[in-house]
Amino acid sequence: MARIELSRIQKRWGAFWGVRDVNVEIADEEFVVLLGPSGCGKTTTMRMIAGLEEPSEGEIRMNGELMNDIDARDRDVAMVFQGYALYPNMTVYENIRFPLRMRGVPAADQNAQVLNAAALVELTDYLDRKPSALSGGQRQRAALARAIVRKPQAFLMDEPLSNLDAKLRQAMRVQIKHIQRELKITTVYVTHDQIEAMTLADRIVIMEGGAIQQIGTPDEIYNDPSNTFVAGFIGSPAMNLVKGALERGVFDAQGIRVEYIDSTHSGQVILGFRPEDCSIGGSAPQVTGEVFGVEPTGDVTYLSLRTGDVLIEVKADRDYRAELGAAESVRIDSKRLFLFDATSGERLRG
Amino acid sequence: MARARRSRGESLIVRYLILGAWAAVCLAPTLWFLSIGLRPRVEIITPQPIYWPTWSLDAWRQLWEQWPMAKYLRNSMLAIVGSVAIDLVLAIPAAFSLSRYTYRGRDDIGFYILSTRMMAPAIVAIPIFFLFKNLQLLDTVWALMIVFAAINLSVVTWIIRSYMLDIPKELEDAARTDGASDLRILWEIIIPAILPGIITASVIAMIFAINEFLFTLLIASTPDAYTLSVALANFTAGTDGVIYNSIALVAFIAFIPIFLVVIAIQKHLSRGLTMGAVKG
Repeated sequence: MARIELSRIQKRWGAFWGVRDVNVEIADEEFVVLLGPSGCGKTTTMRMIAGLEEPSEGEIRMNGELMNDIDARDRDVAMVFQGYALYPNMTVYENIRFPLRMRGVPAADQNAQVLNAAALVELTDYLDRKPSALSGGQRQRAALARAIVRKPQAFLMDEPLSNLDAKLRQAMRVQIKHIQRELKITTVYVTHDQIEAMTLADRIVIMEGGAIQQIGTPDEIYNDPSNTFVAGFIGSPAMNLVKGALERGVFDAQGIRVEYIDSTHSGQVILGFRPEDCSIGGSAPQVTGEVFGVEPTGDVTYLSLRTGDVLIEVKADRDYRAELGAAESVRIDSKRLFLFDATSGERLRG
Repeated sequence: MARARRSRGESLIVRYLILGAWAAVCLAPTLWFLSIGLRPRVEIITPQPIYWPTWSLDAWRQLWEQWPMAKYLRNSMLAIVGSVAIDLVLAIPAAFSLSRYTYRGRDDIGFYILSTRMMAPAIVAIPIFFLFKNLQLLDTVWALMIVFAAINLSVVTWIIRSYMLDIPKELEDAARTDGASDLRILWEIIIPAILPGIITASVIAMIFAINEFLFTLLIASTPDAYTLSVALANFTAGTDGVIYNSIALVAFIAFIPIFLVVIAIQKHLSRGLTMGAVKG
């Protein structure tokens, strides 16, 4: 449907920078998630794609055509909003039909298209209701139906699931991905929820402070983070990041000693390792400390280990138990270690 | 527990007593007016108190036979409804602009519009008289319509503006990406969403308009343009002296239409007033 290119996009409000130098190319039919904490510029970036916000600098192109001066209503993108933004005075049917009417779709075709879209989101039985008579999940689906009813060039979704409870969110996630695959429409999706990003995206764009930190597939982002921000943002619990000294392949910090690190770097570094890449006990422990907390969740138990003044998070077996204050040791999978520069936080490779 | 229950029952009684007393205070002048209007003229100018009044429809009959009441009523209604219509046509787009667009001097313009209401009406009385004289609109209902509309425009604009500010920006953004123009957004999304506010503003403008006296007196010089409020003055200046029971009846007649409108739209009105109050 549409290829979207953002080149050197900036957004400033006076002295405040909303978005800095954003460059992304989104392929046709691709599902791209803009991920980051609140205030990172992800929603502003999406609103600029929609035409609801004007970039201070840079170019937005769709299928090669410059979009900067084209009004939102002529961009042929459909947007789903965090608060659903259903028109309160109209029924679900009229809400879904609204974009068709606005774009002059012949009246004869409107009904069939509305019914198709409603069927796709399983809302056929609720077409006569006003939005106020719908549950959160149904409103969400009505908003989705309004977006998909005309085949737009692109879907823009701004945290569409953040107002739903966990169970519904999971169900809607699957539905959104399914619909996107079926309709083959380029999608840009904004969220601060890493699970949503990992499960939905073809590629994730991680943003912080208005700038892009990393662009990559979910696997790349998880397995090959380019800096400490990305490393700490993706994964639950977050990656352990420990400051220490690296000399001739040996990392040393209080309570942590890791040998045979395949790296030419030396000096102060940050060592990163994920809680799921740790194993408890073993003959040659690398992390020793005292048990600070044990959190059984059913399928897995989280262990917090205090070493010096840092807490190390470890994902243990579901039946792991320990007394608080007891001594414990941990080994780290040597193939899953990440080194970062101690000052810039950038990844140290080689 | 028993004490708590009893005190809840007592508080309910107290609440009803207070509300009932307040309702009586509010209704008393109206009922008193009605009672004056339905008694013979002699009886109401007697200084002695009368405990058992005689009822008579003399004043009522006299009113319709000797005065062009139908004309006054028609003039009032036309001027009021017309002025409210003019206000809405002008105030809705103005409020949309003041609440939805960003431009230099927007807030100043908003304040300027409101400030017209702060001026003492007498200041503009003479210019307005000459304005309508030159337009050859003196002594017409059209002139009243325009003047009433002008007086109320600022208030109507501000009430509607405060309602528009309450409409989430997302709704407008959604409509825009759906392909709607500004006018469509206003017509199909904003106006239906702020209907309670439009009704509230209209009722307030109607109340102001039906009570308007100064400009009507200035513009209207014959029954062709007299409204009920100015007609009242007729009953104080004629050869018959002050005709209290006719005054009371006309005041009552002027009160009825607004009273009925308010009852009919009570639900919207209370919702509207509180919405504006909390968020405006």
